[in-house]
Amino acid sequence: MSAGGSSHELVQPKERFREVARGKLGDSGIQGAVDLSTARLRGHRLEAWSELGDVQELRERANQIRMKAVRDIDLYLGQFTESLEARGGHVKVCATAEEACAYVVDVCRRRNAKLVAKSKSMASEEIRLNDALTAAGVRPVETDLGEYILQLAGEHPVHIVAPAIEKTKEDVARLFSAVEGQDVPAELEELTQSARRQLRQVFLEADVGITGANFVVAETGSIVTVTNEGNGRLVASLPKVHIAITGIERLVPTLAELAPLLQLLGRSGTGQRLTSYTHVVSGPRREGEEDGPEELHVVFLENGRRNLMGTKYEEMLACIRCGACLNVCPVYRKTAGEAYGPVYSGPMGAVLVPLLVGLPNAASLPHASSLCGACTEACPVKIPLHELLLELRRDLVEDHVASWRERTAMSLWSFAWSSVLGYRSSTFMARLGQRFGAKLGPGKAWASGRELPRLARRRFRDWK
Amino acid sequence: MSAQGVQLFATCLGDLVFPEAVADADVLLRQAGFEVEVPRRQVCCGQPAFNSGHRKAARRIARGFVKAFSRSLPIVVPSGSCATMVAHYLPELVGEEPYDVWELSAFLDRHGVEIPRRNEGRVVAYHDSCHMLRELKISAEPRRLLERSGAEVVMLPRPDLCCGFGGTFSVRQPEVSVAMADDKMFAAGAVGAEALVTADPGCLMHLSGRSRRVGELQVVHLATALARGIPAAEAAA
Repeated sequence: MSAGGSSHELVQPKERFREVARGKLGDSGIQGAVDLSTARLRGHRLEAWSELGDVQELRERANQIRMKAVRDIDLYLGQFTESLEARGGHVKVCATAEEACAYVVDVCRRRNAKLVAKSKSMASEEIRLNDALTAAGVRPVETDLGEYILQLAGEHPVHIVAPAIEKTKEDVARLFSAVEGQDVPAELEELTQSARRQLRQVFLEADVGITGANFVVAETGSIVTVTNEGNGRLVASLPKVHIAITGIERLVPTLAELAPLLQLLGRSGTGQRLTSYTHVVSGPRREGEEDGPEELHVVFLENGRRNLMGTKYEEMLACIRCGACLNVCPVYRKTAGEAYGPVYSGPMGAVLVPLLVGLPNAASLPHASSLCGACTEACPVKIPLHELLLELRRDLVEDHVASWRERTAMSLWSFAWSSVLGYRSSTFMARLGQRFGAKLGPGKAWASGRELPRLARRRFRDWK
Repeated sequence: MSAQGVQLFATCLGDLVFPEAVADADVLLRQAGFEVEVPRRQVCCGQPAFNSGHRKAARRIARGFVKAFSRSLPIVVPSGSCATMVAHYLPELVGEEPYDVWELSAFLDRHGVEIPRRNEGRVVAYHDSCHMLRELKISAEPRRLLERSGAEVVMLPRPDLCCGFGGTFSVRQPEVSVAMADDKMFAAGAVGAEALVTADPGCLMHLSGRSRRVGELQVVHLATALARGIPAAEAAA
């Protein structure tokens, strides 16, 4: 993957999904870890949803709130900006990943920053911010435990909520031991203590703190982060500068409308009624206040999102990044996240990535699904994920991204089967040729792991 | 039920690969007193093209369906996914009114059809096909029918998981597809099922294709399980 631009980062070569997936299938450790974790998260969500009374009504309400914001994004962006700027915050809307990275690097340079403490942010992954910072001589350190583990391993998140879902405690112990130069036992308590030792100094010494935002509230100009480890709160309050990076679509009109979304986010992501910390920041430190950053910047990232507005794919912008669709996806379960690319994975990734980078640059993703519909059923904001995948497949064909061979084969087949005579003769021929079926194309792919279906000597219609 | 008429939609996979299963569906309906018509001009619902994004091709085939079936009698389909296609997508695709279409087990269950007790003492697992489960919301009916046939129906640990067929997914991502089938069959074996029963020829083709390759569990269409009973283990595969 080339460094720099997001469009490069998210681009997915055609055969990549299948190749990476194949590797994951052969790794029983990963299979076990992903199966266990996704099943547990799914179970927790279902339990948490069952306590909600009418969860369907809440989902519907959440969808309406999200779509209200998405359909009128500039209005709410304006409200937010006005509100935050009135309290001394800075707002920057960036059309591209490059622009967003440049802005953040610029702030760091101006403040002479050497060390940046980061809490979890998928938007920063999307723009490959760490690479940009490193190139500018600034050292970014991830402080979310999962992200920190991945940073040490030199890997990318494979799950948007549980980024290191496929890592075992033994893997983590090895990485931590190397940092500390001494053996760290593979026990949860010991590993947590080790992470604390390693990260504490980072919180204290960082010049700039960078966070994501789960939501931003237009009415009050607030950034809302939802975390469990407490690192987000440290990152947003100890360093002198706080930069929050988020997609423009994460706006919510009012604080009152934030409530139902918070009700659903924790429950859908991890099964928690409330995460350990819900942090609402509405400006930098004010006079007379003892802590908080001197400078606060909110970077809104477009990076292709505007392309979706007003289209049949608009609802994808309602996504609140809870990960529920990943946890129920049978394809994610077998392939883990890496196959989908380095940032967004599972059904939400399979829909979002082609929309951000263009279908020709991620043509295999709409087909990285069996269209079972489990994602749509699990989505707390009712995004019809599998229907959107189907729409993307349609665009693949209609925009001629799908191969000429595939399109011709489908056309010929449909012409043949548009009459009974054509059906009879084509299936008669197919039966004659079926012993060659395993030799080429789809038949070969099928026969690699399964026996080909035997076309019956007499079709049902011949019996009657 | 006095000689209510139904139209049987064999589906392309039923017609070409599993004619016995369609014949079993035919028998079940007749034994229940229905007059079964098999429209001669039927071919396919267009689902293979539709689900891979080829709308034009799908429409061409779907028009054939419209010509083949009459509006005066309900359509019964021994396939969850084809029933979904006809119920949820085909009318809009070709600009037609909705059809009175039934998945076989839902139809039999709805009409309280008597099921011969051919599966006394047999232990089976039922595999929910995704479209049938999530779009048609049919999951209790096939299990109820199997129980009425005398079988003990054991629950799979994760009945929500797809078996990995997914139409063209099965050949675009064959490794993942096959791994999903293996998980499904392993799960069925682990809960002590002698056979895995499904009401969808797509899942059946995929699961039985895998089973024939690795010689594991027998996979049986619901219509066959009900009309003739689960075959003895030896006879299968």
